Amino acid sequence: MLELPTIQDTMNDRRRINGPAEGTRPPVYASHLKSGGATDRAQRQREPTDLRKIFLKTGLIPSASGSSYLEFAPSSSLANARSNPKSLIPPSSALKLSCTVHGPKPLPRSAAFSPNLVLTTHVKYAPFAARKRKGHIRDASERDLGVHLETALRGAIIAERWPKSGIDLTITILEAEDDRWWADAPDLHDASWGMMNVLAGCITAASAAIADAHIDCLDLVSGGVAALVSDDSTEDSAAAPRLMLDADPAEHRSIMAACVVAYMPARDEITELWLKGESSKIALEKGDQRSAHEALIDGAVDAARGAHSVLSEAVRETMLRAVTPL
Amino acid sequence: MSSQRQASSAAQIPHLSPAELSYLYTSLSLPNSPIRPDGRSPTQFRPLSAETNILPGTNGSARIGFADGTQAIVGVKAEVEKTVLVSDTLDVQHEAQGTGNGEGGEGSSSAVTGGHGSWVQMSIEIPGFRDDDALPVFLSEMMRESLVGSVGVKDKSGEENMAGGLKGRLVINKRWHWRLYIDVLLLSQPLSYPLPLLSLTTHLALLSTKLPKLKSKGEEDPFFDDDWAVAEYIYPRVLGVSNTLQVRPPVTLLVISVGENVIFDPTREEIAVADAVLAISVTRDNEAGSLQPLKLLSIRTIDPPSRLTQPGIPNSENVNMLGAPAPNENVAVLNPATGEEEVPGVWRPRRGGVKRSVIAGMVKTVLKKGGVGEEVLAGLEGVEVS
Amino acid sequence: MASTSNEAPAVPPSLSLPPSQFARLQPHAYLLAHLSPPAATNQPSIRANGREPLQFRTTSANCGSLTHTNGSAVVRIGDTAAVCGVRAELLHTDDIASWSVARTSSASTNKRQRLAELGEDVTEEDNEDEDDQDRAHIEDLSLLVPNLSLSTGCAPGYLPGAPPSTTAQSISHEILSLLHSSRLVKADDLRIWYQPPNLGPEDEQMDVDEGAGKKAETEEQKPREIKAYWVLYIDIMIISLAGNPFDAAWASVVAALRDTKLPNAWWDVDNETVLCSDDVSEAHKLTLRGLPVASSFCVFEADAAAGWRAKPIPNAQQQKKDGKGRWILADPDGYEDNLAHERVSIVVDKEKNGKTVILKMEKVGGWTIDTEDLRRLVDVSSKRWDEMKQIFDQC
Repeated sequence: MLELPTIQDTMNDRRRINGPAEGTRPPVYASHLKSGGATDRAQRQREPTDLRKIFLKTGLIPSASGSSYLEFAPSSSLANARSNPKSLIPPSSALKLSCTVHGPKPLPRSAAFSPNLVLTTHVKYAPFAARKRKGHIRDASERDLGVHLETALRGAIIAERWPKSGIDLTITILEAEDDRWWADAPDLHDASWGMMNVLAGCITAASAAIADAHIDCLDLVSGGVAALVSDDSTEDSAAAPRLMLDADPAEHRSIMAACVVAYMPARDEITELWLKGESSKIALEKGDQRSAHEALIDGAVDAARGAHSVLSEAVRETMLRAVTPL
Repeated sequence: MSSQRQASSAAQIPHLSPAELSYLYTSLSLPNSPIRPDGRSPTQFRPLSAETNILPGTNGSARIGFADGTQAIVGVKAEVEKTVLVSDTLDVQHEAQGTGNGEGGEGSSSAVTGGHGSWVQMSIEIPGFRDDDALPVFLSEMMRESLVGSVGVKDKSGEENMAGGLKGRLVINKRWHWRLYIDVLLLSQPLSYPLPLLSLTTHLALLSTKLPKLKSKGEEDPFFDDDWAVAEYIYPRVLGVSNTLQVRPPVTLLVISVGENVIFDPTREEIAVADAVLAISVTRDNEAGSLQPLKLLSIRTIDPPSRLTQPGIPNSENVNMLGAPAPNENVAVLNPATGEEEVPGVWRPRRGGVKRSVIAGMVKTVLKKGGVGEEVLAGLEGVEVS
Repeated sequence: MASTSNEAPAVPPSLSLPPSQFARLQPHAYLLAHLSPPAATNQPSIRANGREPLQFRTTSANCGSLTHTNGSAVVRIGDTAAVCGVRAELLHTDDIASWSVARTSSASTNKRQRLAELGEDVTEEDNEDEDDQDRAHIEDLSLLVPNLSLSTGCAPGYLPGAPPSTTAQSISHEILSLLHSSRLVKADDLRIWYQPPNLGPEDEQMDVDEGAGKKAETEEQKPREIKAYWVLYIDIMIISLAGNPFDAAWASVVAALRDTKLPNAWWDVDNETVLCSDDVSEAHKLTLRGLPVASSFCVFEADAAAGWRAKPIPNAQQQKKDGKGRWILADPDGYEDNLAHERVSIVVDKEKNGKTVILKMEKVGGWTIDTEDLRRLVDVSSKRWDEMKQIFDQC
């Protein structure tokens, strides 16, 4: 039951098939070397408050007590590249993940008594999910995501209805979001922004899967991301960064700050908040008294409300299926 | 599996009975004047002793001991490493050291001026936890995130200090950079959520960290002055207005809300009844025209362990009390903080999340002029950094 | 539980269980009841899931939906779903410690390569030879790296985060050995050649056939070198598991490899590295050898222990001929998988003239299947091949 220690180098992993012992290198594209060789930057075509479409479906995995599959609609640049392929380098990527819930089931005998339902979350990227090949063993960022997700869900589950039991929630990410546009060198504000979009997707999908497993919740909790982006090539231009909902990092030159929330609309409460970055320079409309971080949080909540409508539709379908079996 | 569970939520729940929890909650949520078990004011920190430069083999180190006996030691080591560049030398070796700290998407491209977040590596060792358990991973990601997230500032004279923040400071030239290893060691099993202790100690250690003076110029292979006396602080000592240090490493504060109160540096018992727990990272903001003395770097919610506690049973539902005359106050009321029906004096595990207004209030208490954040940074400046 | 209430019940309480509960409590009896309908009804045997014994589940495949892969496929066989992504990375021959030793063998390939280019007939024998060398190259350098993961929450038995289970390990290895033995991928697709510039006259290359021998002695044109290999990381995630993971996994591997495009790559002398072109029109698809299709079967026995108990039973042969007490089920689902001990897995391909070629045949556990049965199953598998071919061609 123990995980292997986090050795990135899988060469010693005898339980898997390893590649050449000499190690391999990812391909280097010639166009990448020429400065400015990359011509068409991905550009956001949506309004700042428009979200990408979310495809969410529950109950696809019959062996699990609850399951869901979530997909973000590709942003316009990616959709163009798909319909009319020119370059092998994808301009952007769109989240795809599957989520399963097993349980509630009795806790193992060795476990300590718990008066509440014990939630275990597990997030893993497929090796081919990101631009850089991921290892088979969970790395720090994947564990970190798991903790965030656990926090987000535990606030929503009515845990005391299942004493001495546990549920295992597993998310497999088949395609992750980029952290920046591929040809950009990481700049001052570089961070793993894509992870925040992934977390928002995880929260929404997990919530659907938990509902599919018929576990009582206070409300459906959905995830949303808002980001502060500056699209100007000149770093110190007067133009202040703008607030964008559901920002695809590949479509922006620089993301200054981002915030992801897990939000329950019925109670107007946040179960999980993760904000990072430089938020102080935000440009708000005149008369807006909010401070930058408040605006970011509000933006993320708006995005989560958007995701919530998709989520409740998916859960409604689940219920209809349960009521009228085929 | 089961050993891992709950590790993330502010760690071990103390074995308090529902009655004790309820008592604690009531006294901490008293409007405006919470009563803490140890008599502190809501914003007061526990007394601590601190010293720096205790480990001669490191570039910088610090030790902080809390009055309850928990101690943390942080050592910072720096190594010179070749920068992986694509555009210039096309040297696409995979990361030379194979040190995957899990920073996603570092790819083969890398920055010349910006520095890279993965150059700062942090490991946290907590007795009783495996180093890949949720708690140490979560803590190190949280602290690293604010460290590499803080970027340089233009101070009021327009001169740039530490452009690019810590990441930028690590750049030597186009082909070489420093790699910083921050090793955090907690010396005993944590008695409370160890974040404040670890964050303060890391702060002091970084403040005392020196890098040898660079003797080479430009794009040469770097070589350094071996005279330790002329070594330069990684966070330069530039005094700003009112004799405070301009550039400071960030500090992560643990803040809880109980009822309407915002409480800092909570003990384990206090966290156990919290409605919400936030980790807020701040640093000094010296930007011209900024109204606040502090800049927000990151906020993370931490799962309040109060969700996992055992509920109390109100008399009306207690089988042993059947037939006993119900006292008058045993009537459910609506708790203003949680919006749920509760019987006063009977503990209910917390459910749901936090209201946005509560979060805003907590952040404000940290950031405002003369607020807790400033106080903490000033207090840390008092520690003699030699 | 007879009712003990004082009032006489209007309707006698039913002792029967709803089918779903019966299926859980007595899985063996439940399936048996389905497969052996009362003789009187004259119904054919039908499986609990409504399929005929040798009927496969509905299969669908979808290719190229994952952005960060060179080729990808999703294959669903009933409720079992496998996602396969192929990622190509480069292995520089400079990095291979033993490369200079192995090079001698590459020279002969080199020769044949040139022969082929010249339009000379490559004999059957030569082809065979090349195949062997392909296999050696791919195997020795481990250029194909398949890994299957079941820890995706696909079924309650497989813990996420745990090291790969024995099932996952054995399927990974089966896929690897099948990739090697079927020689599906041509090693030449994976080679990145470099022609060192010839400082002599340019026309050298053209007139090899006239007086080649002489020239070869005096001023041999510098041989082409292999500078790098593509390594294909083939990762299979079983997203949903309801029996028979191997067929789904293998189908997804084949579909993903069919979808795989490798960028045009060349050795860049100035940078001393391999560069790729991101132009889609320059990229080439893998040329696969054939289209192997896997079909798995399990054997369900009415009384599994009968064989053990029996002294030589005179009518054992008899019983077998009747086909009673034992059913071969194609493409077992999770429920049937748990009840069967004997499994057969057959991988077949069809040549252009419609001849079926068996690439792999494996039978484990139990003893009830004989040669005749196997022959029948090969026929079933080759029918399955036609089905799968259509599905592959659509995606």
